[in-house]
Amino acid sequence: MSKKKLATVWLGGCSGCHMSLLDIDERILDVAKLADIVKSPVVDGKEFPEVDIALVEGSVTSDEHHREILHIRKHAKTLIAFGDCAVMTNVTGMRNYFNLQEVFDTAYVNAVSNDKEGHIPDHPSLLRLNDKVVPLQDVVNVDFVIPGCPPDADTIFYVLFEFLNDRIPNLSKAKKLKYG
Amino acid sequence: MNKIPVIIDDKSFEVDPHKTILEVCRELDIEILTMCHLKGLTDIGACRLCLVEVEGINKLLSACTTKVAANMVIKTQTERIKKYQRITTELFFADRNHVCAVCVSNGKCELQNLGYKVELDRIRYPHLFPQCEVDTSHPWYVMDHNRCIMCTRCVRVCNEVEGAHNWDVMNRGHQVRIISDFNTPWGESSTCTSCGKCLHACPTGAIWPKAIVQGQLEKNPGMVNELVERRKMKL
Repeated sequence: MSKKKLATVWLGGCSGCHMSLLDIDERILDVAKLADIVKSPVVDGKEFPEVDIALVEGSVTSDEHHREILHIRKHAKTLIAFGDCAVMTNVTGMRNYFNLQEVFDTAYVNAVSNDKEGHIPDHPSLLRLNDKVVPLQDVVNVDFVIPGCPPDADTIFYVLFEFLNDRIPNLSKAKKLKYG
Repeated sequence: MNKIPVIIDDKSFEVDPHKTILEVCRELDIEILTMCHLKGLTDIGACRLCLVEVEGINKLLSACTTKVAANMVIKTQTERIKKYQRITTELFFADRNHVCAVCVSNGKCELQNLGYKVELDRIRYPHLFPQCEVDTSHPWYVMDHNRCIMCTRCVRVCNEVEGAHNWDVMNRGHQVRIISDFNTPWGESSTCTSCGKCLHACPTGAIWPKAIVQGQLEKNPGMVNELVERRKMKL
């Protein structure tokens, strides 16, 4: 059996899910036997390549995330929404109750930690925030979800190991369903 | 009192008449999911989780408000019921802003447990993201409407057990809200006795004491029935 290609992606999230992924500890060796991690925040490489499994953390918050997730969908055989933000927007989505201008003003202009000169960053190289944060499933077809904030390392390993062995995991049956 | 025969999930039982299907099932250890039911309070059949199929009746009936009758044939675990329970749970999550990660009742929440029971891994409906108020005007307690599922257990416990009727309901549909007095800040209430029963009755993290941080909330909803039973004792 040839080795599978695995990618992990960090969109609008806090990277906590990636921290939890690292918590699988030495079991990463079992993953490495079955797959090469070809793209990840901890792997060098610019272009997102063709992969078998993509673990996508975070929700879609900006034009850049939108482009990225469409690209990932095209190049990943199995797309997994990784963590509560990717599945149901979670903390990232808490700005959805306010309009975007209010959010910018609160963060950059009126924040207590700001001096009076606070201004909203507006460089052309920066990403543009969308009005509303949406979960991955609102933009692309998602094949599997791992809820949790963050998902437990055991859960992540279980899901990865099942997919790498060509089985479909079942979080409910494995008693690994968790939100928050 | 004479017992009556019923069939639940293809098994025959002799049960007390004048009891609801839910009461009978709970006594027989047959699991029925509930959210708005709290032992000791009047049942209102609001959450639609306890739906059961009764032979000869086309629509699903809420077990908490339907009394058993002789020779009733009841089914509690059909695919049809499970489908509706999953939909109902998803709508609870999509309707308000349930962010488990920052919630006081994370890990001890009846809504989370319900999600696990109906095997909910994602919500198929668009989230509404309504702008909900958080009422912190009470000196000890907080009412966070983001986390409210409108089970009205707080309304009933305040009215029926405490006798204060501080809580009530206003509006309909997505605008429906729990209100204190005539929609005034909780801290200004002239009826609230600050007894804290609503806090224990609340199944989620919507009502909680200020001295609590994320994931630390301990509730004791069983105390409501304990109180009700003790009041029935003759001295």
